[in-house]
Amino acid sequence: MRPAVRFLLTAALLCAGAHSFGQALIFKGGERWEVNDPFKLDNSVPPKPVNDPKKGTISSLKGTVVRTVNSGGTDIESTRKLSEVERIIWPPMDKLAEAQLFVSRGEPSKALDSVEPIIKFFDAFKKTPGSLWLKASMVKLDALDRLENDAVIGAFLDNLEKNDDGSNPELGTKIKLARLMQRARRGEHDTVITEAADLITKLDDPDVLARLHLVKGSSLLATKKYEAAMNTYLRVPVFYGSQAEHLPKALLGAARAFRGMDSPATKEQRLEEISNRYLRDLIATYPVSKEAEEAKKLLPKEDRLAAEAEAAKIKDAAVIPEATAKPDAPKADNANNNEANK
Amino acid sequence: MVTQESRTYKLAKAAILAVLIAITPATPSLRAQGAPAAAKTQEDPLTAQYNKTMVEIDKKQFPAALKNLDDLEKKVANMPPAMQATVCFHRARTFYLMKDWAKADAELNTFLTKYPEGTGKVIDENDNMRGVAQLTLVEVYANQSKWDPALDLLKMLRTNPLVQPKDRVNAYTLSARVVEEKSKSGSEADKKTALGQAVGLLKQATAGGLGTPEAREGGMRLVEVYTKLGLVKEAEQLKAEIDAKGTGSPAEIVRSNFQRIEIGDARFEAGENASEQKDKDELYRQALASYQGALRRATVNRSVTKAVEMKQADLDKIVKDNPKPTPEATEKIEKARAELENFKTIQSDFEKNKDYDAFISYRIGLCLLELKRPWEAFVAFRDIFENNPNFSKVSGAYYYYILALREIGRNSEAQAKCKEFLSKYPDAEEVSMVAVILGSISQDREEFEEAIGHYNWAKANVKKIDPATLEEIDFRIACCHFAHVDWEKARLALDDFLKKYQRSFAKEQAMYMSALCWFYQGKYKETKAGFDEYQKTYPKGEFLADVRYRQAIVKFGVNPPEIPATIALCNDWLRDYAVSKVDSIVNQIPEVHTLIGDAEIRLATELDKDIATADKNLRTNAEPALKAKYKAEKERFEKEKEAHTVKAIDAYIAAARSGRTNANALDFVLRELGKLLPGRGEHARMRDLYKEVYDWDHADPKSLNYLYEVIKSTERMGDKPEFAQQADAVQKRFSAQLAAARKKVDDLVKTDGKPADVAAAKAAVAKLSAELAAELEVVEKARQASILAAKTEALGILSSAVAESINDRKQEGSEKLILFLAEKLARKVKRLKPGATIDPNAYSAANAEEEITKLLRLEENKDSLIAQARGFFAKGQLAAFLRDPAKTDTYFKKISANYKAEELSPTILAIVGDHMLSKGETKNSEGYFQYIMEHHRSSEYADYGFAGLAEIRLGQKKYKEALELCAEAIDNGVVMSKEKDIRFIKARALAETQRYDEAKKEFEEIAKTKEWKGETTAGCLYWLGVMEERQGHHAEAVAYYRRTYQAWKKYEVWSAKAYLGAARLFATKLDQKKDAKDLITEMLSKERIKDTPEAAEARSLSTKL
Repeated sequence: MRPAVRFLLTAALLCAGAHSFGQALIFKGGERWEVNDPFKLDNSVPPKPVNDPKKGTISSLKGTVVRTVNSGGTDIESTRKLSEVERIIWPPMDKLAEAQLFVSRGEPSKALDSVEPIIKFFDAFKKTPGSLWLKASMVKLDALDRLENDAVIGAFLDNLEKNDDGSNPELGTKIKLARLMQRARRGEHDTVITEAADLITKLDDPDVLARLHLVKGSSLLATKKYEAAMNTYLRVPVFYGSQAEHLPKALLGAARAFRGMDSPATKEQRLEEISNRYLRDLIATYPVSKEAEEAKKLLPKEDRLAAEAEAAKIKDAAVIPEATAKPDAPKADNANNNEANK
Repeated sequence: MVTQESRTYKLAKAAILAVLIAITPATPSLRAQGAPAAAKTQEDPLTAQYNKTMVEIDKKQFPAALKNLDDLEKKVANMPPAMQATVCFHRARTFYLMKDWAKADAELNTFLTKYPEGTGKVIDENDNMRGVAQLTLVEVYANQSKWDPALDLLKMLRTNPLVQPKDRVNAYTLSARVVEEKSKSGSEADKKTALGQAVGLLKQATAGGLGTPEAREGGMRLVEVYTKLGLVKEAEQLKAEIDAKGTGSPAEIVRSNFQRIEIGDARFEAGENASEQKDKDELYRQALASYQGALRRATVNRSVTKAVEMKQADLDKIVKDNPKPTPEATEKIEKARAELENFKTIQSDFEKNKDYDAFISYRIGLCLLELKRPWEAFVAFRDIFENNPNFSKVSGAYYYYILALREIGRNSEAQAKCKEFLSKYPDAEEVSMVAVILGSISQDREEFEEAIGHYNWAKANVKKIDPATLEEIDFRIACCHFAHVDWEKARLALDDFLKKYQRSFAKEQAMYMSALCWFYQGKYKETKAGFDEYQKTYPKGEFLADVRYRQAIVKFGVNPPEIPATIALCNDWLRDYAVSKVDSIVNQIPEVHTLIGDAEIRLATELDKDIATADKNLRTNAEPALKAKYKAEKERFEKEKEAHTVKAIDAYIAAARSGRTNANALDFVLRELGKLLPGRGEHARMRDLYKEVYDWDHADPKSLNYLYEVIKSTERMGDKPEFAQQADAVQKRFSAQLAAARKKVDDLVKTDGKPADVAAAKAAVAKLSAELAAELEVVEKARQASILAAKTEALGILSSAVAESINDRKQEGSEKLILFLAEKLARKVKRLKPGATIDPNAYSAANAEEEITKLLRLEENKDSLIAQARGFFAKGQLAAFLRDPAKTDTYFKKISANYKAEELSPTILAIVGDHMLSKGETKNSEGYFQYIMEHHRSSEYADYGFAGLAEIRLGQKKYKEALELCAEAIDNGVVMSKEKDIRFIKARALAETQRYDEAKKEFEEIAKTKEWKGETTAGCLYWLGVMEERQGHHAEAVAYYRRTYQAWKKYEVWSAKAYLGAARLFATKLDQKKDAKDLITEMLSKERIKDTPEAAEARSLSTKL
């Protein structure tokens, strides 16, 4: 076998292995340690973290990872510094997804509760490739953005900026984006529009681009540039349709922009109806989002009631009927037997 | 192998196969077979020459390489066959790289036949290069279209157990390609069969999994074949598997991306071919998802660049680590270099493809258009103009952008784009279609002159219009003249068209329309000739029904009219077409009935002369026999006339009842019936007819008019003709008796009869008169009762109409009906002069309120918020009609206090909000105005929202916000009945923000607008004074104040302020205390002003003077 092919196959096997074994740390030199996930809990009451003694345990506080290996019948404990980790393999984390969901639902405090421990955990190796620190920090930023607490956001961003040594361009971009969102909240709309437009031409990450369009759209809307706002918001579903988490905001913004564009002169375009159509779509497609709640407020009463009824139907259909959800009741025979056994 | 794919894609696809031969590693040294490499520390001359040759091949110095290979061949002639085979192999490789297929073919065949052991272990310890040579030979055969030898060789490779697994996999993949290529010159069926075979072969290639690059290559090929066969699901599933196993190499990224786009294309195509709309939508949605998932240019570029950088780093590291490379290291270096070059080629090729992003936007736009999401399509196409203006398919993007603009109702913008397109891309293939669109937009909007202008512009300016489009444009121009009722121009255009396009698709229509032009010009002779020709040319023509109808009209229109023939033609027409379901014919049925009606009326009118003559003869001939004759004659004529009139009415009614789809005919006959039926006292017939028409569609904009007619006729039904007849009979009955009784009195008086007799005779007259009056009163009472009953019935109908929509907040017509009802009830209440005694039995305001509650069926709609709100609104409006502002205020306050904005209709929001604002209650009105602005911006009450909210902001001293609101309303054209108010608020806000010049301009503009003369004019003059005062121009200020209180005395709000302003200036700034005092005296003498707050202030000022 040619070496290149051999290498590719090895890489493929490595990837497959990584997926099946869960989280692992790869040290300089290629040594791989499987580690416990401190966020994975067992079924005990109260639940405790699942701890596999064969795997390493990370201590973010000490900046170390400890592993016990049985060698010739003897347990040997070895410790390595987290700073020696070259790469992290960490499968998608439920808690992070949960935090993102809380943000979408408009429950930023809960999102913060979920995301803070993750940030803290990964803080010791935040810049290591594969670390979830940046992703978690972005979720935190989203949550803070929902809270609209500029002081806290400012402090958090300052902290992020301190950690930005330019080695992670993604972090720099996201800080810029967050600063832009802050400025938008402060009402510096003209600056936001110019800077967002400039950044849009320079970046290619669909997530950041979708976010930039949302910020730009919101500033255009605030300055009553409805047509431009509509054009900006609609770019999200048109070009970044795969960025599902941003679609509710985009649809809501577009609906608002259509409202603004509506006038007797544009009556033929039936913009109010188009706006309502976007709102109804939003409620139907993202029923538990915060934007769906906003959309309901914007809809005329009749449409809102209809949309709510529709959403309730979907909700009802999703709920498992109580009878099927409950475990089977013990049979009479068994009861008798049990009694007899006593 | 020539494929139609883009160069980038071709490169990506060919990457692995090309690499097979191009980067086949050069042997580190041409050492003896099996000799240990480590033993060779010094490079021998033969190896040096060999290595040099390899470098020459890599540097594409093929002639030099071939020369060296010839030399090497001689030198290895006595060496083991593996060495000779190696030289032969490289010569074949060189010819291959030179694309000299014939020589490569010969050399590879020599290698394969002469050296059964191949290169042994010389080039690769585990590969004797026979497999590669065979595969390359296949490629060489394929390049020469030698399909059968290629397939034979591949078959051999596939079945030979000695062939390495990777080569076997490649053989399957290549077999599939060759099968496909071979079928390219065949029929569609052959191509499909070939694709089926390819699927079978490629499935074999991937049977062992997708773990190796060769298998993934086969898999990717299979994805493409699946896509071509429309097996999109299979393609996508396999693609996902390949992506999951992929290495992330740039070739894979590019290829995977293009495959995603190809899958999208296949879905789009399937969507176009699907018959069911549901399937279409699903396929377009899937295509859209594929396109949206495609990476953007920048992302692909970034990945490829990163990969190139990594490859470069790898190469640099190997070179650095091996300053004196061993043969193995050299092999590694060469391989890394070749891979780097390959990646760079992909990168540079991708960079050349500038249209990549635009193509994705284009495809996304197309999907969105098909999915009826025109606004998003508009955004997608707009992206191309904004970010890829040099897109090679920009003309296509323009075309679809124009379609999107039309879909979203932006017709003017669409036309501007059409013109821009036509001037920018005169050679584009869509030019003809766009030229037609340009005019057709105006034509559809019934702006025919503009449409003709556009069509002519296109004819004059667009050079590449195809003949069919030119013909269409010419026909459209004629149609525009026709629709614009410019008959002469239309006829000339049509005649020209018929001459110019004798085989035209529209010849029949043009011939028909040309005759119609004569018809509409009233030139019946020419019309008849035209229609006769049409009927002769097209005896079963599309327009035959209309032509026959017009022929009947011609008969009616000639002088003298051929009325019986007209009626006969109409009846024939009805016999043949009355049951037709064809829209145009159904539309014509009322017109034919109308023509019959017109003809009958004509016959009836023609009898007037005979009736008049008979009447005259009757009156002028005293002889009883003659009198009787003329009387009978007159009665006969009158009967005949009546018969024609009845027939006409029947025909008009038939026309009206069949006129649902023909508004013109319906309007005409309703008007005619409006002249005929009420005069004949046939109110019931009139009512029934209008009721029927009203019930067709209550949402029709004209339905309110029909309802009014129903109500009017119902009311008139109360005053039945029999009452007049009864009264007449009573009068007649008494008139003879009274005449006799009066004569008796006269005679007695003349003959000096006894006073007692005279008195008795007079008493008899008086008695008779009293009896007459009593009987007439009975008739009148019955009449009044009947009228009252009819009016009650009418109100009931109105009430039903209101009740039908009272629960529907969105029915804006409901408020109009309520206003109508309130006005009717208000009229029932007699207005009394102040001090007049109130009749306790008279219909009072309380009765009216009770009745409106009943009529609106408010009790029945207790649970409906909007119905109850409309009830309050109705009572408030009733009070307004009855001039009871306090009550109006009470009811409007009830609405304001109890209803959220979203529970009310725009009319109520606007009127109640405005009322509350005028009372200074801004809390609720603000919510109402806000709601109008958010939800009813296109309603006829939208400007109430802006004006109200701006007024509130002005009151709150939020001048910037007030200005923004006014600007928004004005800029967006949301200014109707509140324009004056909005401009006045804007001017005041400008004044408050010291923008005096702009404010002055605005105030002056309002003041000089005739239609707005009144209170606002007074306000403007006052404010002009205020601004002058604020700028220290006291004399000018006084002048404005003076104009205000002198010219606009009746508006005490402004004149009081103006008086005070002027007095204050006289007293404090102009040192004219006496004038100030006089002015205050004058001010306080005014009845309207003396109790105003300004008057109090003036009094206080006066004491200080």
